[in-house]
Amino acid sequence: MSDFETVKYIKNDDVAEVVLNRPKVLNAYNIKMRDEIYQVFSAVQEDPDVACIVLRGEGDRAFCSGADLTEFGSSPSRVIARDVRWERDVWGLLLSIEKPIIAALHGYVIGSGLEMALLCDLRLAAQDSIFILPEAGLGMLPAAGGSQTLPRTIGIPRANEMLLSGNQFDVYGALDFGLVHKVVSGDTIVDVAMTLASELARYPRGPMVAIKKAIRRGIELPLEPALNMELRIAVGSMAIDS
Amino acid sequence: MRQENLIYNKQSGVAFITINRPDSENRINEALSQDMREVVSDISKDEDISVVVLTSVGDIFCMGDDEPLRDIQGKLSSNDLETYLKNNMVASAISSLEKPVICALNGHAISHGLELALACDIRISSNRSFFGFPGISEGSMPWDGGTQRLPRSIGLAWGMDLLLTGRLVNAKEALKIGLVHKVIPKTKVLGEAFSLANKIALMAPIATRYMKEAINKGMDLTLEQGMRLEADLNIILQTTIDRAEGINSFLERRAPLFKGE
Repeated sequence: MSDFETVKYIKNDDVAEVVLNRPKVLNAYNIKMRDEIYQVFSAVQEDPDVACIVLRGEGDRAFCSGADLTEFGSSPSRVIARDVRWERDVWGLLLSIEKPIIAALHGYVIGSGLEMALLCDLRLAAQDSIFILPEAGLGMLPAAGGSQTLPRTIGIPRANEMLLSGNQFDVYGALDFGLVHKVVSGDTIVDVAMTLASELARYPRGPMVAIKKAIRRGIELPLEPALNMELRIAVGSMAIDS
Repeated sequence: MRQENLIYNKQSGVAFITINRPDSENRINEALSQDMREVVSDISKDEDISVVVLTSVGDIFCMGDDEPLRDIQGKLSSNDLETYLKNNMVASAISSLEKPVICALNGHAISHGLELALACDIRISSNRSFFGFPGISEGSMPWDGGTQRLPRSIGLAWGMDLLLTGRLVNAKEALKIGLVHKVIPKTKVLGEAFSLANKIALMAPIATRYMKEAINKGMDLTLEQGMRLEADLNIILQTTIDRAEGINSFLERRAPLFKGE
C-alpha cells in the first residue's frame, strides 16, 4: 500500500495494481496525479518483483473522466508550459515501461483517461464503459499522445471520426474498432484483469519484455531494419549467455 | 459558384463539392481535375468554411476515369504519361485540404473514384455501394494515392487483398474492414454527412485543422516525434481565443461559441 493522495499502489506478489483514486471527481487527472503516477511507474519499472501491471480507476462511475480543467491556464507562459510538459514526461515514462500494462476500464473513459489507456498494452472494458475524446470541442488537442496513439491503434479513418467529431462510443463500438480487446460485465472487470495479469506474470519474463520491445520499436521502422532488430532482440532474450 | 463538372456551394460553415457528371458515371477527366483544384484552392482560403463534404450527383459516386488507363498505357512517352496523370489527379487536391473532409458515398467508388474517396477523412456510404481496384486485371495500377492510402486506412492485410485480387467489396464488407465508417440507405447518406459535418463545424476550427495535421503528419513520424508535434500544436492552441472559450464554457456548463481565432 502507499501514502499517495490521488493514486493507490497495491502489490499482489508479481502483479502491481495502479489505481486512479479521485472517485469523487470521477478520477479526473490533475497535476498531483501526474506527479504521483510518475513516482509509481518509476518505482514499478525498477521493482524486480513486478512482472505485470494493471491500471484501473476507483469508484463505480469512471476509469477517468479526463483532465481537471479547473487547473488549466495556470501556467505563466507558453514557454514555461512547454518546458513543464517535458520536465516530467509522464506519458513518455508510461511508454518506456518494459513490463506489460493492462488497462481495466469501466464507466467514463474520457479525454486523457482514454489516452492513458492507449498508452497501455491491453485494454479490457466493462459493459458500461463510455469512450469520448472531447478535445476539439474545447479548442484543444489531446495532450497525452491521443492524436498519435489512437490512429496507430484503430487506424486513421476511425481515429478521424472520434477525434474530429468528439462522438461518443459505447463498449461494443470500441470492441468493433479494436479500441478494447475484450468486454466483460462490470462487477468482474477487476478480477478478469487481475487473472490475465497473473497469467502474463507467470510467463518467462525475458521474452515477454522482448516481445513488447520488438513490437513497439519495430512498428516505427521500415520492415527490413525491423526484421534485423527482431533477430537481435530474439537472440538477446533467448541465448544461453543472455 | 458553378464549375462545368462540379457543383460547389456552402451552407453554415460547411462546403459541399458535388461531382456532376451523372451521365458519365461521374468519371474523372482533365476538366474535372482542373475544377477540383480550383474549388479546393477557394475552400482553403475561405475562413467561413471549417468542414467539407464531397459527394456526387446520381446513384454512383465515381466509376474511375473517363478514359480508362488501358486505352492509354503503352501509347505515351514517360514524360507525356506523367503529365497526363498529373493533369487528371483529384485525390492529391482533396488531401491537400487542411480542413476535415467527409465523403458522402452515394454509390459505387471504383478505381480512381475510390482513390478520391480515400483522400477524405471520414466515409459514409449507401448500402448499395461497391468498392475496389479492378484495374489489375487489365494490367494497370492506382496512381493517385491508392496503393499508399488504402493500406494506411484499412491495414496491410485487407489492402493487399483488394489491390492484388482486384475484387470488389460491398458496403457491408467495406464497413467490416474499416473502409467506410457507416452504411445507411442511399437517401440518407447526404443528410448523415451534413449532420456529422455540422457537428465538426461546432468544434473549434483551428483545433480540428490542427487535429487533422497531428494525425496525418504524426503517422509519418515515430511515436515520440509525433507526441512532440501534438504537444507543440497544443501549446500554439493555448494562444487562441477559442481555447480559452472552450475551457470557460465547460466550467460554466454552457455551449461554447467559437470564432476561429
